[in-house]
Amino acid sequence: MHLAGYPLSAVLGAFGAAAACAVVLYILRLRRRPVAVVFSPIWRSVLGERESSRLFSQLKRWLSLLLQLALIALLALALGDPRLAARSAEARHLVVLLDTSASMQATDVPKGRIAAARDKVAQLVAGLGPSDRMLLAQMDASVTPLSTMTDDVAELGLALERVRPSDTRADLGRALSFALDSLNGRTRPEIILVSDGAFAEETRRHAPALGNVALSFVPVGSSGHNVAISEFSVRRYPLDRSRYEVMLEVVNGNDTPAELELSLFGDGQITETTRLSLAAGERRAQFYANLAGADRTLEASITTAPGLNDLGRDDRAYALMPERRRSRILVVTAGNTYLEAALLLDEYLEVSRAAPGEALPPGRFDVTILDGVTLPPEPRLGSLLYLDLPAQGGPLALGKAINDFGFDRWDEKSPILRWTAPENVQVESGHALVPGRGDRVLGASELGPILVSGRREGQAFVALGFDPRKSDLVLRVTWPLFLLNTINYFVEEDTTYVSSFRTGDVWQIPAPGNAEMAWLTSPDGSRSRVALENGKARHLGLYAGFYELAVENDSRPPLRFAANLSDLDESRIAPVGKLELGREVAGEVHGFEVRARHQLWGYLLIAVLIASAFEWVSYHRRVTV
Amino acid sequence: MPRWLRIALLVLGWLALGGAYLRWLAPLSTPLVWDLEGVHYQLLEPRALGFALLVPFFILVLYKSLADLPWQQRLLSTLFRSAFVGLLALSVARLVQSVETSRICTIFLVDVSDSVSDVALADASQTIARARGLLRSEDELRLITFARRPELRELGAQGELPPLRDRSRPVPAGAAPGAAEANRYSETDLQAALQLAYGVFPEGYLRRVALLSDGIETRGDLLAEAQRAAQFGVQLYSLPFEQALPAEVAVQNLSVPSGVKVGEPFFVTAEIYATEPSSARARLFQGDVLNGLDSVRPLTLVPGRNEVKFRSVVRTGGPVSYRLELDGVEHDQFAENNRFLTSLDVPGRPTVLYVEGQPARATYLASALGAQQFDVDVRSPTALPRSLGELERFDFFVLSDVPAEQVDPSIQDLTERYVRDLGGGFLFAGGDAGYGLGGWSHTTIERLLPVSMDSEQQKDMPGVAMALVIDRSGSMTGLPIEMAKAACRATVETLRGDDLVEVIAFDSQPKRFVKMQPARYLNRIKGEVATIQPGGGTAIFPALDAAYQDISVVQARKKHVILLTDGRADSDGIRDLVGAMIAEGITVTTVGLGDGSDADFLRMIADAGGGRYHHVPDPNSLPRIFTRETEMLTRQSAVQEWFPVRQTSSADFLRGLSVAGAPLLHGYVATQLKPAPAQQILASDQGEPILARWRVGLGWAVAWTSDLKNNWAVDWLRWPEFGRFWGQLVREHMRTKHRRELDMTAELVGQRVHASVDAFAADGVFDNDMQSVLVVTGPLPGNERREVPMPQTAPGRYQADFELDGYGSFLLRADHYHLDGEGRRVLAGVSFGQVSQPYPGEYARLEPDRALLRRAALATGGSFEPELPALFEPAGQVVRYQKPLWQRFILLALGCFLLDLLMRRVRLFDRSFQRRGRRASPGV
Repeated sequence: MHLAGYPLSAVLGAFGAAAACAVVLYILRLRRRPVAVVFSPIWRSVLGERESSRLFSQLKRWLSLLLQLALIALLALALGDPRLAARSAEARHLVVLLDTSASMQATDVPKGRIAAARDKVAQLVAGLGPSDRMLLAQMDASVTPLSTMTDDVAELGLALERVRPSDTRADLGRALSFALDSLNGRTRPEIILVSDGAFAEETRRHAPALGNVALSFVPVGSSGHNVAISEFSVRRYPLDRSRYEVMLEVVNGNDTPAELELSLFGDGQITETTRLSLAAGERRAQFYANLAGADRTLEASITTAPGLNDLGRDDRAYALMPERRRSRILVVTAGNTYLEAALLLDEYLEVSRAAPGEALPPGRFDVTILDGVTLPPEPRLGSLLYLDLPAQGGPLALGKAINDFGFDRWDEKSPILRWTAPENVQVESGHALVPGRGDRVLGASELGPILVSGRREGQAFVALGFDPRKSDLVLRVTWPLFLLNTINYFVEEDTTYVSSFRTGDVWQIPAPGNAEMAWLTSPDGSRSRVALENGKARHLGLYAGFYELAVENDSRPPLRFAANLSDLDESRIAPVGKLELGREVAGEVHGFEVRARHQLWGYLLIAVLIASAFEWVSYHRRVTV
Repeated sequence: MPRWLRIALLVLGWLALGGAYLRWLAPLSTPLVWDLEGVHYQLLEPRALGFALLVPFFILVLYKSLADLPWQQRLLSTLFRSAFVGLLALSVARLVQSVETSRICTIFLVDVSDSVSDVALADASQTIARARGLLRSEDELRLITFARRPELRELGAQGELPPLRDRSRPVPAGAAPGAAEANRYSETDLQAALQLAYGVFPEGYLRRVALLSDGIETRGDLLAEAQRAAQFGVQLYSLPFEQALPAEVAVQNLSVPSGVKVGEPFFVTAEIYATEPSSARARLFQGDVLNGLDSVRPLTLVPGRNEVKFRSVVRTGGPVSYRLELDGVEHDQFAENNRFLTSLDVPGRPTVLYVEGQPARATYLASALGAQQFDVDVRSPTALPRSLGELERFDFFVLSDVPAEQVDPSIQDLTERYVRDLGGGFLFAGGDAGYGLGGWSHTTIERLLPVSMDSEQQKDMPGVAMALVIDRSGSMTGLPIEMAKAACRATVETLRGDDLVEVIAFDSQPKRFVKMQPARYLNRIKGEVATIQPGGGTAIFPALDAAYQDISVVQARKKHVILLTDGRADSDGIRDLVGAMIAEGITVTTVGLGDGSDADFLRMIADAGGGRYHHVPDPNSLPRIFTRETEMLTRQSAVQEWFPVRQTSSADFLRGLSVAGAPLLHGYVATQLKPAPAQQILASDQGEPILARWRVGLGWAVAWTSDLKNNWAVDWLRWPEFGRFWGQLVREHMRTKHRRELDMTAELVGQRVHASVDAFAADGVFDNDMQSVLVVTGPLPGNERREVPMPQTAPGRYQADFELDGYGSFLLRADHYHLDGEGRRVLAGVSFGQVSQPYPGEYARLEPDRALLRRAALATGGSFEPELPALFEPAGQVVRYQKPLWQRFILLALGCFLLDLLMRRVRLFDRSFQRRGRRASPGV
């Protein structure tokens, strides 16, 4: 036994003071009200003698005093918060991992799985033994302890209120590692997993070895009805960036066929509605090709008949398209149909033309294409693409004239040659290029470099050593790809854009500028400060929806992006009754009978209340005084 | 009010309170909360308020009270007792108040991984000891050490620190199995340490974390966790270790160029980082043996990055691993980073399909290519691949001297797809059955080639003498003999007027139905053919001999015999006869009609006679066969004369070869070069194409108008550069990638690999709906293999994400399949990648990552390199916590209890009787 509340001295002091008061009060004798009767002086003396001789009367007073002192003692003891000393051999140390992953938001049980899990944990808390200590942690893509390792049921109760589900998968490995770390060196360690058990097979297989740590499983959930959007993404076509293609994958997690209606929204307006029939367990990818009309946001949603869908978090998905801005292109050419035709493929190019020797149009340009000509470099021309680089005035010197050549070597990793097949190109004549220091040879024939990129005084350029019209390049898909890739490379439009992140991953969000910090606004409107590293914000995303990232001290509009659950395993919400992790099988919980708590002060007070009720009755019925 | 009524009202009130309690409070399982004058209160066990229902009971007892107390004291006693009960009920109901405090709990997270020196840890101990001295009485200090896993460490009774890094301590449960002890300090997981700290902070304290680390993070993500820490109210203060860089040499990378081919030398490049000038010996292993070309190198290392190149060559295809080991390192701390392993998948020897019309003469080219490290599969035309999948196995396809009729149009289409779509290389070689001679005009193959088969040489076409030797035995009765006669008529119609023709029909004896005469006498010849009647046995030799006798005496540039039979005959003397015929330039083609013909015998005649053998199951096909034979003969475009080869344009494969020194060729088939981009590389002295090429789709089509054997190229076979010429030609034009190869990007983040493949169709649209599987081989050596699904995550994008199982080099190969109409998987492309993690990242990065520590601290509102007192300065911060009030209520209840006792023990009211008593007492 030890005192967790007032120290013993304070307890004894309180008892001593109160007891002294009680004793003093009992020493004082309550004078009774005199009542006048006939012959009272005679009877008074007779009765007085009889009364004084009664030992019982004395005893009653002492008993009364003792009763009062006992009550005072109980109260004083309660102040000390006495607790039964935990015997080290008996003390259980428990880490309760409460699954708050997306599948736990299913509503197949009354009030939902999360509420049911909370109730089960509350029962565990109520059944804690006098020596038991418990740490409550929630488990989703990360692991978050909600309490300390404590025997305080109140703290555990408060921790239970802080449980908040997320839209991610459960990282069981990380959670178990955390639990093992928390239990390291503790007696009778045990992990209790409160979950629907909807973990991916790989997750279960790669769970850490638990050693001597016991594992118990408290199953939650009753059925597994779900229809979900398991993937949703959009990409612009590399050749025609005004159009895009959407991928939407739906899965029927039911063991019966399901009819569902699938709706696609572009910039908030409905653009497609499709009815689908999915067989039991079927997973189907839908592709919507050559879409146009939406510029920013895409959303998808599914609806199905009641009773087939117990999880709503995966019925809606979000995506953002890379923003398109019109690039200003200046073409200086004496006439090149192939060039002009290729530039028509991208409606987001604002093309101006000028003949060699003519005055250039006013304004700034993102890219200037010089077709067999050169111009004095000036910033307003933007980046420069030289076709058939002339001998004089260009950024590179020309080497020897070459004939009948092609691309024998090329930089496959260069974004300028992405998706192209330069090995197909046959060139009649041209010149080898002489790259300067720091220039990058993107393509070369056996006779010398023919495609070079570099930078001169801060101005980027790409130079081609031959006239495309003297080759079959202009007849191939490679030609417009090369032009558009080069323009995108110059204007930094990343064709590897990801339209949505996946919740549960650490997102690396590209952030403009060189700032160190940014503000992230979550779908629920909450804001948090995130650090930037190498131009990217790192954030463990827990919720699906649209986000905004505003870089500190940057006047540009916030960057928007989307996130989705996109986890087939998490959308398979069928609960399991028995959990196997690797070679270990989780057992059932035991030893959680509702019992007297080891915090005794409450029971002491209840005893005082009951005893005082008896004392009150006995006093007023003159049993005690 | 009557007493009974008061009692009844009291009971009713009690029942009402009880009902309200049962209705509102008893069902509550959650705390009751409210705010009062800005203070937040919670009743954690609201059901315990039910104890207050005892109060009416106390009042009720008063009505039966025998106590002799003034009514005022009774009332006060009841009030005090009621307050007593009420306060105890509130205590049991656990009323708590939300209050603010500025107490601080600081948890020191100390990095004890291998990258942290003992000196730095000693500094850390001193820092923590100094911090303890700065603690206020209400503050708390805890300690967590971490490397691969975090561990909460207990301080001594007087706050003594335990040894921070104790390699003798047992490994906690959950560590990686097997090598747990070895890896215990070889990783750093800052994120896990922070997460463990969340569960150590007691309630009601400002949460501070002091992170003592070098910032070298090999697992987890501190920056992402820092943001969460801020959400939990944890401020991070980074205290980077101030330690000098240890003397260290580390192999940081070992790279090989992409596209390594068997037999081609290349450089293996090692990047070695040294913190100070040092020396070492480097050994490069290929597999388990020292690298053959360049293996041991003494190194003098300068501080910073050192690059060392080793020359190497791979002799056989397949997975190859390279391992660089440093020994004798002058200044070094960790041995783990003195070796680096990388691997690559080298394609095996290129395979060439060589289909030769005369397989017996295929050995020349096959041997030459074999010597040039090619695997050559020689086949006869009958064994041509029938599917694209079968053809796809080869990198180069040589079709030599095969007549068009032996190559089904569907196979020609396959060949075109093989070149155009799969990037295969195709060489079409001439000979007696090549180009126009083989009937290839206006075929798919002609369209595929860079030359056309309409030659200027047509005008020099020689005259033809043809003998048709027709079996008219009894078995030919009916449709066979009629169709044979039709074939004869068609042949005559095909011949030019000056050409000579003779028809000999034979049974046991030959009979000249049409004597050798110009074909211009068409009607007469047709009439004579019509007289042929069946009957008798089958004797081929006399008939063939008769034809030989007749044709050998006429003048014609081309003399040819077509023998048709449906039966078997004595073969004696025929081989010699045919040998004599071929010696005089008379060629023999045989046609076996029906299944009764002796195919081997007829094939022997055709092979020996320089002609072709046709097996014709259906007699109706006979006119077509005869017509085509005649067309081939009459469209003769062969140039048979000795001539030198002349190079007309440059080509990479001719590098190092002097074609001008090559022997003469003895013939070719005259063709014409198609317009550009067809490229003529070699030409005859007449300027006609000998070797021409152009690109077709992804592949090359190459035309060689001479032959590849000991006929026209007989001298070339003896040319010392013959093998090299063909080897380099094939190597340049063969398919460079086995299949459609899709680029894979593979990135290693911590222990996880993110692999991504973008798939685009030829027209730039996304290639969707492929089924992709990623095969991970490694760690090498050992070649453990596992498959990881690679699902489609976006239009044209396929991704996989998995954790590496160990250290070493890992080869990645993704196979992408489409489903055909019948649901079968058809390989649509492959992707290759490689990742290396030869040793824990702890030993790869040697310089502290101060930027990471700084950013993480800023993200939580903490600071970087703070003064120690700042860790315990609330700086105006407060934290709210739930302060329990139950002890206060017990004290108040105790007071009420004593007051109640006072009311019952001391008469405070109605004391007048005492004065009267005193006055009366003297009289008693």
